[in-house]
Amino acid sequence: MYSIEKNLKAGVLLSLCLGLPSLALAEQPYRESVPVPNGLYTPAAASSDAKLTNTWQYWKDPAKLNTEFVGNAKNEWKLNWKFKDAPYNSDLHGGHLAQDRGEELYKGLNKSGEFANCLGAKNGNLKGLRLTYPHFDKAQGKVVALEGEIERCAAKRGMELEYGSYDNSAISVYVGAFSTGMPINLDVTKEPMKTAFERGEQTFHLKSGRFNMACATCHVMLVGENLRGQISTTHFGDVGHWPTYRSKDELQGLHVRFTECNRNSGTQPLKPGSQPYVDLEVFLTALTNGYPVSLPSTRD
Amino acid sequence: MKKRDAIYLALAMACASAMSGPVFAADGIPPDAAYNPDGKNKTLWPQPVANSGKLKWNEHARDLSGWATLSYEDHRSIPKPQEVKLEGPLNGDAARGKAIAMNTAKGNCWACHAFPGDPQPGTGGGSLIGLKKEAYSDAKLYQQVWDPRVFKRKVAMPPAGAFGTLTDQEIRDVVAFLQTL
Repeated sequence: MYSIEKNLKAGVLLSLCLGLPSLALAEQPYRESVPVPNGLYTPAAASSDAKLTNTWQYWKDPAKLNTEFVGNAKNEWKLNWKFKDAPYNSDLHGGHLAQDRGEELYKGLNKSGEFANCLGAKNGNLKGLRLTYPHFDKAQGKVVALEGEIERCAAKRGMELEYGSYDNSAISVYVGAFSTGMPINLDVTKEPMKTAFERGEQTFHLKSGRFNMACATCHVMLVGENLRGQISTTHFGDVGHWPTYRSKDELQGLHVRFTECNRNSGTQPLKPGSQPYVDLEVFLTALTNGYPVSLPSTRD
Repeated sequence: MKKRDAIYLALAMACASAMSGPVFAADGIPPDAAYNPDGKNKTLWPQPVANSGKLKWNEHARDLSGWATLSYEDHRSIPKPQEVKLEGPLNGDAARGKAIAMNTAKGNCWACHAFPGDPQPGTGGGSLIGLKKEAYSDAKLYQQVWDPRVFKRKVAMPPAGAFGTLTDQEIRDVVAFLQTL
């Protein structure tokens, strides 16, 4: 009897010694990240690109692009695709058609003014509404992005507008266009947006998939390099033209673009609207601080 | 059994089960993955359809679900840096190696590395044109392709062997091809 008791106690002590550290290990799977260059994201603003690619100097003023760079294989990436935006590009494109479609859908949903209210527009005024996203919604207890609210508010009126669908993105283009020309200014210095920004930063730098690549692999480590016929551009100053009309005839929302990036780099994509994608959107929005919204837009 | 002994036993069992790791879905694939477990390639991607409030969900060309994702609910580990030994003679075929290295669906090495005869040379990694002059051994090249993290921890290059994207024979073929450059 005595020796069984002693063995039991020894067994418990041994399990505790082995178990507690394993508990700690079990909660921390082994993952890798791309290091963040010192102070790169402080402040969170488009101008901080000066510390990464410094292409910021070429695209910071939409009215003053160096048009000699356009069509030049070595230099075009330095314009961060801004030559596709008005006033340099005055083509009619699918983004304009989407804006019309968005207007039609919006007006149908907003007959009683409820849809505008649900999206947070004061007195139905859409000017500047795009700039209030993403934000923390107290009632839902989470950070929400515009297209998530479009989906939710449309569902309240009995219409299905799946996150990332054409019609959802069309309303996003319509609503967003009321803020064209106005600079993004998302405050991520206070909670809860501060944590959302930090999670977005971590997600951007987290290696994943079969190639063990992070967003930051192509957009920080290899930004400006030739990657099989493409040159990746800076992730600063980019968010204000989404959703965009892609030349492959697709109206593409930001989260759908994330799924494309994920697939291209061998990572299992998540569904549009998943929290990591929302946090990425917070991160990229803050990294556009100081640069204006430009909708409708078109990209390659 | 005395009450005290029962408590000790329960504690021991609880610690033992904690040691076996967290309890998740059998395959660890997070719920927010765009994934159809009953599909052929399982991994899905969303395609907007003009004037529709619904997405068209397509099957991806391959199943990507086996590797860790960006989901907050993905608690899977990735393979740690793997040091490997080149066993036996190389037995690699340079022609097969070229078809692996310069093929987007296979090794896709040309995405980042410049090879002779490629009109769109990658600059993400070092140029491999004239690699001969570095006189790297088969064993060194084999380790680099299998898992370059062994030489440089934070390298951007994918670990083709450790992550299972190329087989051992395919890596031997790629090494044989690299030794001709």
